[in-house]
Amino acid sequence: MLLNISWRNVWRHPARSGVLLCAIIAGLWAGIVVSAWTNGLIDQRIKRVIEEELTHLQIHHPDYLVEREPTMVVDQTEAIGNLLSSDERVTGYTFRTKSDGIIQSPLTSSGVQIIGVDPDREREVTTFHENLISGEYLDADVRNPVILGRALLEKLNVEVGNRVVLSFQDIDNNFTSGSFNIVGMYYTGQPALDEFKIYVRAADLSGLMSPEQIYHEIAVMLEDVAESPGLAAELNQQFSHIKAETWTELSPELRYMTDAGSSSSFYVMVVIMFALAFGILNTMLMSIFERMRELGMLMAIGMGRSKVFIMIMTESVMLTITGAVLGMLLAYGTVEIFSETGFDLTSVGGDSMREFGFDAIVYPKIAGEEYIMIAILVIATALLAAIYPAIKALRLNPGEVVRE
Amino acid sequence: MSESDVIDYEIENNEAKMGIISTKNLSKIYNPDTIPVHALRNVNLDFEVGEFTTVKGPSGSGKTTLLNMIGGLDKPTEGSVEIDGIQITGMKESKLIDFRLQNIGFVFQSYNLIPVFTAYENVSFIMLLQKRPKKEMEMRAKELLEAVGLKDKYHSRPKELSGGEQQRVAVARALASQPKFILADEPTANLDTKSAMNLLDMMEKMNREENVTFIFSSHDQRVIDRAKRVITMVDGAIESDETR
Repeated sequence: MLLNISWRNVWRHPARSGVLLCAIIAGLWAGIVVSAWTNGLIDQRIKRVIEEELTHLQIHHPDYLVEREPTMVVDQTEAIGNLLSSDERVTGYTFRTKSDGIIQSPLTSSGVQIIGVDPDREREVTTFHENLISGEYLDADVRNPVILGRALLEKLNVEVGNRVVLSFQDIDNNFTSGSFNIVGMYYTGQPALDEFKIYVRAADLSGLMSPEQIYHEIAVMLEDVAESPGLAAELNQQFSHIKAETWTELSPELRYMTDAGSSSSFYVMVVIMFALAFGILNTMLMSIFERMRELGMLMAIGMGRSKVFIMIMTESVMLTITGAVLGMLLAYGTVEIFSETGFDLTSVGGDSMREFGFDAIVYPKIAGEEYIMIAILVIATALLAAIYPAIKALRLNPGEVVRE
Repeated sequence: MSESDVIDYEIENNEAKMGIISTKNLSKIYNPDTIPVHALRNVNLDFEVGEFTTVKGPSGSGKTTLLNMIGGLDKPTEGSVEIDGIQITGMKESKLIDFRLQNIGFVFQSYNLIPVFTAYENVSFIMLLQKRPKKEMEMRAKELLEAVGLKDKYHSRPKELSGGEQQRVAVARALASQPKFILADEPTANLDTKSAMNLLDMMEKMNREENVTFIFSSHDQRVIDRAKRVITMVDGAIESDETR
């Protein structure tokens, strides 16, 4: 009975309820789509950083990331490699030799980070090779191949096929140099990276740094990223003089980005809920003031105050749920479509986004539980916003209002 | 009879269980702390089942206040109201609402129908509140609408009915709960002559044939002329009480 009367009361003024309904639909649609877009943007950024180079877990000498000394190599690489090979959680791993140095062209020089990789393993573990836009990868049949970013090539005024000289410290802290052939050019869209990181074969770099093969980093990809803290802990316990760290420890800024994304989505939803609450409050108050005499009559003929209270709360919840369902369906459809096609921002600031490491085409995503959370939030807002109008109705004196 | 007995009480037959209303030293003062308005002054009245009574008097004489007191919609400053031996003055709000639901029918000046309901739904709504069986409810609502001459208007909403028709629905609604008596506050005030006469004919017939008790407040001469008993109020006090 109450559901019936409440539902009809909702549609007593179709235009007024329709406007509020449209506001709820638009608000929820915008909130969910913005959240999904933010999730997609951040997830893609994190995925890209992890898949291109960072990986889920890295192993270094305990002090390497702080002091970056060439002597701080990873010990027991064979034993660690054997363990990783036998671990079902691990999908792949690769060894890297690293050094900070200087690259020189006939025209100029620049400070760089030299990353020596095992070309075959690196290709299996990361997607860096997909950034190659010209030339060949490091498995080219050339002595001392090197891949440079487009920005660095332009800065040094060299081309693929030219030679450059790399200078860096060996493990005895002596300055050493080597001539390298530019075999490829990569492009990430981030000038800071493209100008700073260069890639060589680990064997070539190690050969110039030490009489023995040395590695400064082991990068590991896992089946499930959630397993990384567990595996890092096990490695740290099993091997001395190493430090295994997860991607969140290695790149806290990425974790902060995730947190910031969640926070911004939350605040967007809070703002929407505030607007929604005032919309409901306004509509319900108007509805109550208009129906004073009718509510008084209902109480006079024998409808209890609790039933009147429930009726008004139900009206608010029904109106809001209708809007919420439609808004969420619309948002779901939008997110589904754009999660397939992507939201292309290439023509509106795509280059700027790439410079900051974000993709210009964003694939929005939102988890099922977020829809449930939003639905709960909407219902709670509707209930809270309807309390005041409902209490207002309860305070009516039926004798007075029916007389008026 | 205890209060709880009364709440569950349903009249099967008005004639078998006659309701009596009695007001004792009933007084009502509005704004007692600022500018006191004496709406009722020491009113002592008795009403019996089957009465067709009009309380008349000029505006502000206390007619509506008296009906509100009898209907339990307002509380007296002094005195008490008894219905069928039960003192409703001071009764707990929730019990009073239930008491009204089971015992009193209301007809208001401006009809006060639920605009989103049809005529049939407006009449059956009060029986829904009483939790009557669905079949009984349907039957009674149809019977009452037929009795008030709205057989072909079951599914019309209030805005599709004339003022007279709306007031007929209001009378049918008031009767639906099988109350001990009906309080009608200025029921013809918004009606044209023809509609008012039709409505009064219908109520008179119900009073005559089914012994339904009506207590009106009105200064409409058409209502006053039909009444079997006329109580005149002036400045909150009973000036005269005539039975015809």
